[in-house]
Amino acid sequence: MAPGGYFGRALVVDVGAATGEVLALPDQVLRDHLGGAGLGAWLLTELAPVGVDPLAPEAPLAFCFSPLVGTPLTTSAKFAVVAKSPLTGLLTDALASSHFAISGKLTGNDAIVVRGACERPTVLLVDATGARLEPADDVWGLSAAEAETVLRRRLGAGWRVAAIGPAGERGVRYATVSHDGRHAGRGGLGAVLGSKRVKAVAVHAGTKVAPADPAAVLAAARDLRTRSFGQATAKYRELGTLANLLSFNALSTLPTRNFTAATFEPAAQLAAEDLSEQRKVARNSCASCSIGCEHIYRRKGGKQVRVEYENVFALGPMCGVSDADEVLAASSRCDELGIDTISAGGTIAWAMECAERGLIDAPWLRFGDGPALLRALDEIGTGTGLGPLLAEGSRRAAEQIGGGSADFAPHVKGMEMPGYEPRTLHAMALGLAVNARGADHNRSGAYEADLSGELDRLDGGQAHVAAAIETEDRAAIMDSMILCKFLRGVFTEPFDEWAGLLRPVTGWDVDAAELRETARRIVLLKRSYNLREGWTAADDWLPERLLSEPLRLSSGREARLTPDRLRGMIDAYYAGRGLDASGRPVSTVP
Amino acid sequence: MGTPKAALAWHGSTLLRRTVGVVSRGTSGPVVVVRAPGQLLPDLPPDVEVRDDEQEGLGPLQGLSVGLHALAGRADVAFACSTDLPFLHPAFVRRVVGAMRDAYDVVLPMAHGFRQPLAAAYRPRLASLIDELLAEGARKPAFLFDRSRVLRLDDAELLADRVLAVGDPLLESVLNVNEPADYELALARPAPEVRVERFGVLAQDGHRGIRTVRAATVGAAAQAAGLRLDRHVVAAVDGDWVTRDGATPLVAGDAVSFVSADAGG
Repeated sequence: MAPGGYFGRALVVDVGAATGEVLALPDQVLRDHLGGAGLGAWLLTELAPVGVDPLAPEAPLAFCFSPLVGTPLTTSAKFAVVAKSPLTGLLTDALASSHFAISGKLTGNDAIVVRGACERPTVLLVDATGARLEPADDVWGLSAAEAETVLRRRLGAGWRVAAIGPAGERGVRYATVSHDGRHAGRGGLGAVLGSKRVKAVAVHAGTKVAPADPAAVLAAARDLRTRSFGQATAKYRELGTLANLLSFNALSTLPTRNFTAATFEPAAQLAAEDLSEQRKVARNSCASCSIGCEHIYRRKGGKQVRVEYENVFALGPMCGVSDADEVLAASSRCDELGIDTISAGGTIAWAMECAERGLIDAPWLRFGDGPALLRALDEIGTGTGLGPLLAEGSRRAAEQIGGGSADFAPHVKGMEMPGYEPRTLHAMALGLAVNARGADHNRSGAYEADLSGELDRLDGGQAHVAAAIETEDRAAIMDSMILCKFLRGVFTEPFDEWAGLLRPVTGWDVDAAELRETARRIVLLKRSYNLREGWTAADDWLPERLLSEPLRLSSGREARLTPDRLRGMIDAYYAGRGLDASGRPVSTVP
Repeated sequence: MGTPKAALAWHGSTLLRRTVGVVSRGTSGPVVVVRAPGQLLPDLPPDVEVRDDEQEGLGPLQGLSVGLHALAGRADVAFACSTDLPFLHPAFVRRVVGAMRDAYDVVLPMAHGFRQPLAAAYRPRLASLIDELLAEGARKPAFLFDRSRVLRLDDAELLADRVLAVGDPLLESVLNVNEPADYELALARPAPEVRVERFGVLAQDGHRGIRTVRAATVGAAAQAAGLRLDRHVVAAVDGDWVTRDGATPLVAGDAVSFVSADAGG
């Protein structure tokens, strides 16, 4: 019998052969990896052929649930999508939320793995009786949201759908998998699903799973819900993540015009503080969430768009665009196409700089030009003009264009950088450099240390290294349990408190020390998978621009991140993680 | 003075805390406080290093030697100052430290026509020379300047730095308080004028926009802005130094941004 909160099995579906098999998940595997991103890393290691092309039929893609999904614990309705990334060639795991997580898990599986490839557009249906395939020709070409609507109308409202947009169908290397307007956004998971000609995965709840101690889970849920209304989540609840934009601008950590600056003069035009008053029409929550971080804004023409800091940063300051309508339109366009806004904005910003330098023949593409931004997005979506180049992401595009453009391609390991300026956030610089997924703010929240006031964010050293390791460990657990990171501020002793949530759900006698070991195991497992797939120490690095072009702050100080400083922090990170001098695990993952 | 200068009250903080904070803003490395054996010091930030001057009564060169030894191998240049400079400005510190060149061992301000050896920049490697001087019975900084390469900066040269010229046009950074009357006079001046701004959720309910207030510390600025620094609220001074320490000193013209500490997402 599986531990509380688990079924002890994964359903592995070969959509090419139209077969499914059950993979038993031993208790120890579950306890060692929990679920979500951790379980996904284990499944990928076990099921993916070594060196597989991420877009080949043999490449698996896993939807992973967690022991907390389906409990009344706030923010627990989340799932991870895990595969080898076509953008980075390494592991990628992206999280999304809401009813798909609950229904997916209550198909009776802790994970649903998709491999193989269909000959024609298909939707994979999974319920408690197993899996089956249905044609999806009629929804091929639709946006993920449209496809979801059509499929739910056809299948019945009890079905929940995760789908890809036209970009996933076309193999854009940063295409997303989407559910109910939320995106498993980073690393091109939509392209992986698209390469299998799977337009959507639909799930229907058909069974139940009981926690080990339901009364204790309910008590914990009540307590956590109460705490979730406090000041630690006020930012998300009241303004959403876009509240970062003006703050980051004030702190010189808002990447602007492809990292040529860290402040954006017209930032106020995109500020949540104003847009919220002028344009907000609604606030939404994921299923099982008491925070309600989703802020829906009205854009020109009356359409509505869900706004996050990363969307606005990447399509606004990063591209030098300050017109709110144009930025919101670009964000909507990314949603319709099913592409990651961060990679889209980063790649287009790189292309804008290339065009201004004469490296790309596109005189229409300039920083600050909103219509040009929209045109570039359209070309990515349709595969016309610059689209095929930009669909590759900034690393591959820079390899094609040359001319020194690799130095200012804003990526780590091929993944475009989020809206955190490494030169003014040295702990975050390290986190971005060494993270398994690439340039990523969700797997390394080291910016918290930079912005804590407890260390000098321009003077990276041992304290920054310790902070980067700690936040990476915390993310590994939150992404595997799974709990939303927007809840993280309510935990004062997180590993203790997380163990306290897992105990009544699973029945395990898990404690903080065990969870710390679990975090370390998951981080190392991802690193080991990447090593297997060709990662080298040179991949743990930052773009040349960030290491050679200092920033002058309004205080008069110079923000400089030298290669020596970054090297020193990386070396200390390797030592702190128990890796060898080349960043390789010195022993097998325990 | 009746009270050790280091512990003299300064707008809710102390003179030493202010001096340490200003030096920290003007430099990029460790800050070392040299004290007499057994001397009690007021609260200091946790990253400030405290070293004991084991031999009392040997004058400023002795304390300078202890401080420079403490920085050996960790800094190319050190700013050394006394604790009784209530108007020391970070731009002054930066100007003096930034003037150091390979050809020199000391950058010595000549503000208002006087040498300012206790508001000057030194190479840490001078520590051994100072020890030699002390062993020879030399107690005054002048002996050190005789045997080292000194770059002197007069008022005009100091104020060539635009930030300093705006922030401390009268070069009051070098004003010290030797007598109780000096101290009382200095303390009677109004706190510096600074700009405060609240961001994000802190700016809701009509709290948007920049306000000008008088505040000598970040804590006072927070209070003037209607906030309290805690786990969820941090301040950034001049868009640079992020702090939750309310004793962090401010100088005229500073801009203090208050942001939600729950950044990210």
